Amino acid sequence: MNTHDPDHDLLARLRALPAERSAPADGWERLSARLPPREPVAVQAPVDNVVALPLRTRRRWWLPVGAALAASLALYAVAPWRHAPESLPAPSGLQLQADAMTEQYRQAVASLPDGTAPEWQPALHELDRSAEQIRAAMAQDPRAPHLLGQLKRTYALRLELTRQAAQAASGLTT
Amino acid sequence: MRTLSPLCAALLLVPAMALADTRVDERHNVAAGGRIELSNVAGKVTVRGWDRNDVQLTGTLSDGLQLRQEKSANRVRWEIEYPRRGNNGGATLTLNVPRSVELLLSTVSADQDISGVDVRRLQADTVSGNLAAAGRSGDSVLNTVSGNVTARLQTPRLDVNTVSGRIEAGGGVSGEIGAQTVSGRVGVDAGRIQRLVVETVSGGIDLSATALAPGGRINVESVSASVSLRLPRTVSAQLSVNSFSGSINSDAGKVERPRYGPGSSLDARLGSGDGDIRVQSHSGSVQVRLDR
Repeated sequence: MNTHDPDHDLLARLRALPAERSAPADGWERLSARLPPREPVAVQAPVDNVVALPLRTRRRWWLPVGAALAASLALYAVAPWRHAPESLPAPSGLQLQADAMTEQYRQAVASLPDGTAPEWQPALHELDRSAEQIRAAMAQDPRAPHLLGQLKRTYALRLELTRQAAQAASGLTT
Repeated sequence: MRTLSPLCAALLLVPAMALADTRVDERHNVAAGGRIELSNVAGKVTVRGWDRNDVQLTGTLSDGLQLRQEKSANRVRWEIEYPRRGNNGGATLTLNVPRSVELLLSTVSADQDISGVDVRRLQADTVSGNLAAAGRSGDSVLNTVSGNVTARLQTPRLDVNTVSGRIEAGGGVSGEIGAQTVSGRVGVDAGRIQRLVVETVSGGIDLSATALAPGGRINVESVSASVSLRLPRTVSAQLSVNSFSGSINSDAGKVERPRYGPGSSLDARLGSGDGDIRVQSHSGSVQVRLDR
């Protein structure tokens, strides 16, 4: 019975191939010899004080390269997976919660009346800076629940003080 | 000329009289367990405890300020009303309070100086004024925004909150303690702790306690602030420390770092491990000393 298996032979030969292969020493010379000759650069003789710049050679080989590039860009533009580059990790559950919390906080602040009594102003700026600091920390460590708790506490305090500051500015003190 | 001189003198006195401070001297009987409330914006509020059954409010009000009061058998509320157009100053007030009452103080920029009290409950709020509280209180809540808090209270329950104000708590504070700031430093020198919860974003934390009650809990959270915790060597608790990029230095346990990625942690059993001590920091360093 013939047990010869052509696939097995092929796999064996593939495994026998060297993992790395160095380029031959005279590789560039052999490649250069096969390239078409460059077009000569026409240089105009100088007339008076006008110096002619060398003419730019028209490289027709850009045409197919450019067309290929345009086709690639067109494909990228319509490809459905273009918005999910593999290099960016998906946001964690805590980051999604933080995003939702930040959006709700912004809406809540926008709904409060304008006006801030001066005693509150530095603290409100401090709270804004701290919220940014916590968000930056969450970007570094997106799976730290205590940072989400700190953000929640900071937003709640900012809302409460904004309300108090608006009340004080309108004359309703203490 | 002789007739003009007294007239000129009288005219010169008119604005001085108009700007004169108003004296305040009020008293009211408050039964034990009654409530005393005082609300002011600017100036200063001084509170002292005394061995009498009535509460007394004395002091001066700047021009344009008025005292409003609501009194009942078991409650008194004093509020300093300020004119909407602004004022020339604040009110300087002294409150003498009996024992075992509930005391609620509220100011905006006025400092509060409380000492010698022995009350059932103390709540003091201010925005930018400093707050100093000493004495005894069954339950204490101290809140500021940018003002500093110095609490030397014998109290089984203390809760202190600030945004940028510094917190210093000691003088017999024990039991359940909460301290929260955003950027203000926190210093707590406590006795026997049942529960200690401290949170800050960027204010440094310096904590010390003479003992942790059986089953007691310490929970400290910081974003960028450094944390220092000092406890006695005899403490019995499960210690857990985590930091994303800050260093961990502890008298007990071994700091573990993952082979790949950031972060470091430490888990150690102190004594028989009755209580729980948990410290979490993002970028602040953490130091645990067992030498108290």
